[in-house]
Order: sequence, then C-alpha cells, then structure tokens
Amino acid sequence: MNAVSTSPVPAPPARLEAVGVTVRFGGLVALNKVDLRIPPGSMVGLVGPNGAGKSTLFAVLSGLLRPNEGRVLMGGGDVTRATPQARARRGLSRTFQRPELFSGLTVREHLVLGDRVRHSGDRIWRDLLTGGGFRRPSKEEDERVDRLLEALHLGGLQHREAAGLSLGAGRLVEVARALAVEPEVLLLDEPSSGLDMRETEELAATLRRVVEERGLSLLLVEHDVDLVLGMCDTVNVLDFGAMIRSGTPEEIRSDPAVRAAYLGEEPAPRDAEAKRDEEDA
Amino acid sequence: MLQYLFAGLALGAIYAIASVALVATYVSSGVFNFALGSMAFTVARFYYFLNTESGWPILPSAVVSLGLFAPALGAVLYWLLFRHLRLRSPLIKVVATIGLSVALPPAVELVFGKLTNVTAPGLAPVPLKVFHPFGAAVNMDQIMTYLGLVVVLVLGIAVLQYTDLGLKVRALVDSEALTSLSGVNPTRVSLGVWAVSTVLTGLAGILLAPTAGLSVEGMTYLMAAAFAAVVAARLNGLATAVAVALAMGVVTTVIQRYLDPESALSAQIVPSIPFAFMLLALLYHAWRRRAGEPPAGGALDRAIRVAGGATGGPAPARRGLADPTLIASGVALLSVAALPLVLPEYWAGLTATGLALAIALLSYTLVTGEGGMIWLCQITFAGMGAVLSAELATYHGWPPLLAVFVGALLIVVVGAVIGLLTIRLGDLYVALVTLTFGLLVQTLLFTRDRFYNFGQGTAMPRPGFAEDTRVFSYLTLGTFLLLALLIVNLRRSTAGMAMRAVRWSEDGARTLGLSVVQMKLLVSALATYTAAVGGGFLAMNSQSSLPDSYNVFSGLVWLAVLVTVGSRSLMAALVAGLSFHLFPGVFQTYLPTGWAEVPVLLFGLGAVMVAKDPDGILAVHARQLRGLLARRGGGLPQPSGRPAQAALASGSPDSAVHQLTGGDR
Amino acid sequence: MSESEERMDCEAREGGAAPLLSVADLQVRYGPAQALFDVSFELAADTTLAVLGANGAGKSTLARALSGLVPPSGGRIRFDGRDITAKAPDVIRRAGLVHLPEGRGVFPALTVQENLRMGLAVDRADRKAALERAFSIFPVLAQRHRQRAGTLSGGEQQMLSLARALMVSPRLVIADELSLGLAPRLVDVVFENLQRAREAGVSVIMIEQFAHRALGFADRCLILQRGVVAWSGPAEAAGDELLHRYLGEGTAA
Ligand SMILES: Nc1ncnc2c1ncn2[C@@H]1O[C@H](COP(=O)(O)OP(=O)(O)OP(=O)(O)O)[C@@H](O)[C@H]1O
Ligand SMILES: [Mg+2]
Repeated sequence: MNAVSTSPVPAPPARLEAVGVTVRFGGLVALNKVDLRIPPGSMVGLVGPNGAGKSTLFAVLSGLLRPNEGRVLMGGGDVTRATPQARARRGLSRTFQRPELFSGLTVREHLVLGDRVRHSGDRIWRDLLTGGGFRRPSKEEDERVDRLLEALHLGGLQHREAAGLSLGAGRLVEVARALAVEPEVLLLDEPSSGLDMRETEELAATLRRVVEERGLSLLLVEHDVDLVLGMCDTVNVLDFGAMIRSGTPEEIRSDPAVRAAYLGEEPAPRDAEAKRDEEDA
Repeated sequence: MLQYLFAGLALGAIYAIASVALVATYVSSGVFNFALGSMAFTVARFYYFLNTESGWPILPSAVVSLGLFAPALGAVLYWLLFRHLRLRSPLIKVVATIGLSVALPPAVELVFGKLTNVTAPGLAPVPLKVFHPFGAAVNMDQIMTYLGLVVVLVLGIAVLQYTDLGLKVRALVDSEALTSLSGVNPTRVSLGVWAVSTVLTGLAGILLAPTAGLSVEGMTYLMAAAFAAVVAARLNGLATAVAVALAMGVVTTVIQRYLDPESALSAQIVPSIPFAFMLLALLYHAWRRRAGEPPAGGALDRAIRVAGGATGGPAPARRGLADPTLIASGVALLSVAALPLVLPEYWAGLTATGLALAIALLSYTLVTGEGGMIWLCQITFAGMGAVLSAELATYHGWPPLLAVFVGALLIVVVGAVIGLLTIRLGDLYVALVTLTFGLLVQTLLFTRDRFYNFGQGTAMPRPGFAEDTRVFSYLTLGTFLLLALLIVNLRRSTAGMAMRAVRWSEDGARTLGLSVVQMKLLVSALATYTAAVGGGFLAMNSQSSLPDSYNVFSGLVWLAVLVTVGSRSLMAALVAGLSFHLFPGVFQTYLPTGWAEVPVLLFGLGAVMVAKDPDGILAVHARQLRGLLARRGGGLPQPSGRPAQAALASGSPDSAVHQLTGGDR
Repeated sequence: MSESEERMDCEAREGGAAPLLSVADLQVRYGPAQALFDVSFELAADTTLAVLGANGAGKSTLARALSGLVPPSGGRIRFDGRDITAKAPDVIRRAGLVHLPEGRGVFPALTVQENLRMGLAVDRADRKAALERAFSIFPVLAQRHRQRAGTLSGGEQQMLSLARALMVSPRLVIADELSLGLAPRLVDVVFENLQRAREAGVSVIMIEQFAHRALGFADRCLILQRGVVAWSGPAEAAGDELLHRYLGEGTAA
C-alpha cells in the first residue's frame, strides 16, 4: 500500500488524494489511516466487503464528513477543511449509494441546475435580479442538457418529477446531474446497483466515453466485480477500514487475500459469462 | 417554601401527564399534536357537563369521561384525521392539527354551550380537604394529581417493560408498510395509542381546570408547557419529558413567590416560562447538533402510495397561454379587481383588508410553499412591519409608502437572523422555534406602552393619494401583483430551482456546489420582507398599527386558511386573504349572533381537510377543471391504457404514482 | 407458527395436489397507471420461482400485491388453501408469507436487535433460538446489535433485512432483489442460506437482477415484460437466447 503513495518517481499531483484518513464513530474505527490517489484521467476502483468504509471514505472526500485524522488534497492543495460546495466548485462531483435526488424537480431541471452551477459559478442567484425567470434558457445550455440526457437515455423521462423514478432511473439521473457540472473528478457510489443488465452496459459505455473525451478522473465503488475490474486502471481494496491491496485488476482478481475477504471462493456464474463477453470483444 | 414546592409538583405533574400524551402520539405517528389544548378542553368540558351541570357524582363522571368519552374522541379523531396524516409532510401535519385546535372549541361550545364562569372542580370532592405534612398545606386536588401521574407512570412502564407494544409503536413511525409486513396490524396499534393519549390529555385537562380555569386559553398554556417538556426531551424521551415537566411546574410556582402578583412584569414573565425552557432546550440541542429528525415513513411506504382519486394526468411540462388554470386565474383576478367598484362601502373596506392580508400571506407562499420551511411567526413579522412603519411615519414624518417599504428592510435583518439560527434544525423544531419567537415578541415587545397605547397602537396614515378606500384597494392589489410577479420570477429562476433543490436534498445540493446557507437566507429574507410589507399595508388600511391583531395564534389560523386554499399558489394567497375577512363579514351581517363562531369552525375544518388533499382547494379544482376540459375537448377519458404504457416503458410503475402524489410538500 | 396454522399445513400436504400459491388474472394499478395485466401462475409447495424482467417490468409490484401492500384491482390470489386477495399485509404475514421488500427493508430508527425482534412479532415461540440463528448467519449483526439500523452501511442493512426472514420458518419467502449492494462473498452467503431454508421446506419467490445466478438456484422461472407474463417454464429451459430477448430490452428510450 505504502508503495503507491510514497513512490520515488515524482508523480503529477493527483486530482484527488486522501492521506492517512482516519474516521471513528464512537468506538468503531470506520477508516484507519487510509491513503488513496486518483491521478488525472484515470479510472480508479474501490471495492471491499459491506461495511468496509467505502461510503464513509466518499463522505470524507466530498466534504460531508470531517475526518478525525488525515488530509484530503485536490490537485495538490489541501481541502480537508473546505466545505462540500467549495470542493464542488473546484471540480469534484459525486453520486450517492442511496440517490439524493431533488424530488420536486424534473429530471431535466436536475441537469439544468448542474449546468448553471457550472456556467454561472457562485452567482447563480444573479438571474433573479435580471428577471431570468421570464427568459428562455440559452441555446447552448439546451444543447448541453439535451446531449447529456441522450447519453444516459433519459430523454423520455426528462419532464418527470424525480420523486417517482425507479431506483435504476434515479441512479442515472444522479450520474447525469454529476456530469452536468463538468467535473474533473467524479465519485460514483455503486452506480450499477438497481440497474438491469442492459442499463449497466450502457452506463459503463457512457462513463468510458466521458473519461476519454473530457479527461475526467473516476473513482468507482461497486459490488459488480466484473464492472469494476473491467473498467478501472487501478483497483483498491478496503477491508475493515484499512486499505489492504491496491493494484491492477488482474493482480486484484488473483490475490488470495482479496478472494478471502471479498470475492469469495467460487467464481459466480456471471464471472464466466463476463469472460466470454471479453473474449468476444 | 415547601408549600410552593408541593404546588409546583402538582402543576408539574399535570404538565408531565400532558407531555406523556404528546410523546406517545408523536412517537407512534409522527404527529406533533397542536390540538392537545383543545382536546384537553373538550374532555374537561364534558366532565364538567356531567359532574357540575348534570349533577353526577365524581366517580361515575370521571369514569365516563375518561373511560368512554376520551377514548372514543381519540378513536374518532384518529379515524377522521390522524390516520390520513402519517405520510404527509410535516407542514400538513402541523396545519391539520392546528385546524383541529381551531375547530374543536367552537364545536364543543355549540354542543355544550358557552361557559361564562370558568372555575371548575377537579377530581377531588369540594370543599377540598387539606393536609399538613411537614407543616405545609397540601390539598386533595394536589394529591389526586400526584396520584394521577404515579398511576400513569406505573402503568406506562409496566406496559413498555413487559410487552412489545413500545417497540411496535416506534416501529410504526419508521415504516407502516414494514410494520404490517412484520405481521403487526398498524391500525390497531395507532388507534390504541390515540385513544390512550386522549385519555391522558383529558386527565391533564380535568386536573388543570381547578387552577387554570376551564377555558381554551388555560389549556393552551398547558399545551405550551407540554411542548417545552417534549422538546427538551428531543421529542422521544419519556423520562426526560416528565422530569422537565416537573421542573417547569416547580419553577413556575417558586418564581411567583418572588414576584409581585400585581405587577406587569409578572404578567409577562409567568406565561413566558415554558417558552424560556423551550428556547434553552432548543439552543442546547442545536448546539449539540442533535435537533434533526428522520423523515417519517420509509421508502417503501412512499413507493406503495397510490394517488387518491386524482382525475387528471401529470401536469403538463410547459403551459401555454391557453392553459385553463391560467385563464381561471385571470378571470378570478379580474373579478377581484372589480370588487371595490361594485361593492358598498362596508364590503369594500373588508376587501381592502383582505387584500392587505393577502400580501402578508404571500410570505407563507415563499417560506413554506417554496422554501419548505414551516415558519409560524410570519404574523409577527407583519406586526413588526406595522409597528415600525407606523413609528417611522408618525414620529419621523416619513411618507407612509416609504415607511412601509424601507421599514420592511429593517425587519428583514430579524428574519435573516432567525433563518441563520434555525438552519440546521429539523422541520418541527423550526416550527416550534419560530412559534416561540413570535410569542416572546408578542408578550415582551408588542405590549410595551409605547407601541401598545391601550391596544390602539400608533397612528398610521394612508398615502395622500389613496385616502379613499377604493384607491387604497387598488394600491394594495397592485402591490400584491408586483410581489407576486417577483415570486414567479424567483420560482422560475435558477435561484428558485436551487432553493427547491436544497429543500429536497441538502447533501445532494451541497455536493453539487449549491450553498444551503445562501439559499435559506435568501428565502427567509424575501419572506420576511413580504410579511413586513403586508403588515405595513394592514396598518395603513386600519390607519393604526393595532398590535393586538398580530397574535401568534391568529397567525396559525392565517396559515391554516392559506394551506387550505393552497400553499404554493399565488392566487391562493389572494383567495385566502379575501375569504378570511369577507366570510366572517357575511356571517356577522346576515346570520344570528349565535353563529359568530361558525366561520372559525369552518376555517378549522378546512385545514383539517388538507390531511386528505394536501395541495389545497385550488389545486383540486384546477385538477377537476383540467380533467373536465380534457374530456370535453374530445380527448379520451384517460383511465387505463395510455399513461400506464408510458410509465411502464420508461421506468417503474411507481413513477406514475408519484407524479400524482408528489405535490404534498 | 401457531397450532392452528400447523394443522392447516398438514391438511394442505395431505391434499397433495393443491399448490401453495396460485395467482389468477392478477391486475394491479397505481391510480390511472396499470402495472400488472392478467398475471397468472401457480407455485407448488417446496419449489423456488425466479421472477425475472427488465427494470419497470412490474416485478416489485407483483411482490407487493402478493404480500398485500398494494391492493389488486382484479384477479384472485390463493395461498396455502386460503383466499388472500386484498387481505391486509399483517394477515398475510401471519398466514406464513414473508415479503422482503426491495431496498432497505429495515426500521432505520430502531436498533439492530429491535429490528430482529420486530421480525419475530408473530412467531413468538423460541425467540432466543431465532435470534441466535440470525446472529450466526450474519455475525456482524451480533457485534452491532445496539447500533441504529439507519447508520449501518448499505450492505449491512440488507443483511439485517434478510436475517429477519431467515430466522423464522415461514411457508413462503418473497425476496425482492436480495443481492442488491451485497459484496460477492455475501451474495454467496445469502444463496447458501436460502438453500438451507429451502431444504427446511420453505418455498421461495426470488426477484433478481442476476438472472443466471437466480436460474441456477430456482426450479421454475417467470419472465415479466411490461406487466405481462412473457414466458414461464422450468428454470433449466430458460436459455440464453430467451433471456437476451426479454432482459436485454431495458428501459432505454
Ligand atoms: N453514523 C454512523 N454511526 C455509526 N456507525 C456508522 C455510521 N456510519 C457508518 N457507520 C459504520 O461504519 C462502517 C463503514 O460504513 P460504510 O457505509 O462506509 O460502509 P461501505 O463500505 O460503504 O459498505 P457497503 O458496501 O455495505 O455500502 C459500517 O460498519 C457502518 O456500520
Ligand atoms: Mg456504502
């Protein structure tokens, strides 16, 4: 583990980095001196058993939870004490394990809001003074939003209120909203749970494309092992709050400690299927 | 000293019984019962009817009142009202119980007659026996009170200790659906809790009547004290609630020992004691960051909720000018505009008052309808606006309009501070803090001689060009429209969207880069400004600041009437403001005086109805209108096929449901 | 299980042919939107049924209708020899049908231990043994028995929900998306325990996103598509081609 964070070759500053993060809930140590690096343009996976501390780490990275010890850096700068909105404005965006949607807003409004946060900075109330409510949104904005809706196949749902969406659709809206702010780092907490097979494939394809096109960095928490191992460049394994392994997908898949702690012994039938798919491709 | 302690403990024991009742219903159904005082009054009044008016002995009267009448009342209210509230938003819960508290007393008076003499016996035979333990006097009423609390506690603890009932009750508030999936019948449990809690409430009422008088006011004070105890216990700890209630009773009586009973100060301090307790407790909890609340009902409960009888489909995404609701609003607006011209002087005057009130009501539309915050002190801001603008106009010679619009800016500071202080609090706590703030301002500020002036307040001239009631009406209507336009702009602007976003998910909003503080401040400031301007217009209308008319409890009725008509619609504010004044006018003019209370009863019942139709009357009518037009316009009646397919093709079937039920916050 | 129910059990078994659950022309609508159209199937005692389908096909609605959470607008449901159409969920639960709802089927404000006690609200006998069974299946729950369920991690909540069903021995368990958010190793644990329950005579209706895994486990399979039964038959017969045809077609516009 240490080999990664103290590598002798001077690496470019990571987009987002956790250094020695510790979180305690009462007597429970949810995270124990955890280090994590997300370099520019990379896809990093984070896996681990239930209750290992993955979502807690997300909360620390995005600023919703202040760690008891340790630091969080963005592009080399310390943001440990920065608020979530300050981090968001520096290019951090995330989704939640249990979607945090704005129930009363339509799907489209979610994206419009994200887009406006991006393009009007912290003065989003400015259009209140200029009578923005009575003007049509700009053409560029409409186009950007339309493109994103299309990319996530949400076009048909765009005028629906978020309150009634199914879990799967809600996840896609969250991803779309996160992408609308055109972030530099995107943290996804179990994006595929609640999606069916087809939807998962489509989401993976979309994410790959944005990473390629925009040079986005991605941190992915998933229990769909094939998805993480198939997509990510590096995968980190968290167990009981400690980072036990970090390496390429192949290393992780064959690591006995990871198998014991997380993957389980029998390869699931779906494993075989995924391999077949890979061979086909 | 010891004597004060005994008396204090007796008072505290009554508070404790009431707070046990409050906790029980809050914990089991998430309903914070603002009607507690009225329910206590109702049972106590029934006991008085049996015991004093019908001459029954104490024991049978008590048994019938507490053993039959109270549980039946609880069960009936549960069936009519409380069971519909479970999945409603906190706002609807608050408003519906406020409605009940408004409707119940006049209904009771219609049945049992109005009491002129409010002294009533308790559960002990009169003349009261007096004992002298340790040299201090204790009367039989007090002993009955101690006994009452002991019985309640012993029974309560036994039930909680030896049965699963407590667990089931707490499970119910988390998720009714999941509770029933566990094999527990939720209706039976809730019905039981409401019946028992009404018995406790009634017991507290009967015990309180000898000292506080058998009146709604006396019982309201009981309710305030129970609120304070329960808030101190963070809404769920029975032991803490009982301890705080006892402490409050003792403090109240002991303080009285040191106060001159004739002084104005004691008239102000004694009623403020529960609120002081509440404020301290809230500050303490907020400081420890423990004043949040979980949303009621699990995801499952929301997923299986089915739209009740809604006829129209989902609201269209973009409305053209030909939208029937828009046309209806236009027509309504024109008729309102015609009112001052066609009505005789008396009615035109009421119309002007109604229009001024409508401005103040817009502030609820903002803070509650848009911002989702339950503020119960908008009337206080209106009162402050009235008082301040009158001061500026009369003592500083400002032109009246300038005084109103600029004076309101100063009140905004107060609103913003409250907004900041309550930013981290859960909905219910916000409601209680603002209620407390309103009550404190009312007792400590509005009653100052300088502002009060024997109830007359300070004179407030109308602007020179609008001395005439008709011109003034149009000035008011114009101001209303201007503010309404600003609100529409806000609603459709990015800021409005962000405001709603913050309301639905703070974590989601923050990680998107929206500042929760900024958004909440914005909405509190705008709402406070609107309320204060409304107060200024009310003062100009009556040409005096009249501080008495800004009683916080009247504010609850304002809110109830507004929500009844519709908390999110601007037209609703107009309709609510007008009906608030025109409606009682009709009753006063055309019906016998015995009916004077009926409008209040109807307002209360209207608010009770929001439990079933949380969007308000206007929204229901608009829906029906749209449905009607859709049918007449040759469109198929839309029962099954089409919408179902659309919903299924594009997500889960649940989504279609939520479209129809989502408007409840 | 109470005595009278046990007696009913025997009768049902002696009757032999009568299926444990039979659903005829079930229809469900949420307001104006219809979610299930004429769904019919039967489930013999001691069998496992996998219900598959894309998102929005109506799987969860089927589960909710069976357990009484949503009232059917048409059709009949018989369970264990009784008509349970439009019965209240608590009545159906007491008849021996346990529904594990999708997502977090826990009471967030109650502690882990209290959640488990709620799971035993009907089956009073032998609570201690049942609790021990729950703790032995998911040891993490024993360590956390005083923690509020709402603060458990997503997967831990899922375990808790499952434990509430596995610690009693109902007649039928309807498991809606059990493996959602569980680590692969725990998915194994879950299937092992379902297998054990099955050996103890519990029938299972399993709603799953992992089609292959579910089919490997189940005896029979039912594929829903837009609220209609698109295919049903023995699990072995549900081949890749079939799955691709019905499940590949997602909600994509
Ligand atoms: N507010 C809290 N109070 C107490 N314990 C907590 C709290 N939040 C999380 N925990 C505990 O911290 C541990 C880590 O939780 P976390 O949600 O980070 O797990 P996770 O890795 O995301 O698991 P999963 O894959 O199941 O979602 C868990 O054991 C959880 O019970
Ligand atoms: Mg998690």
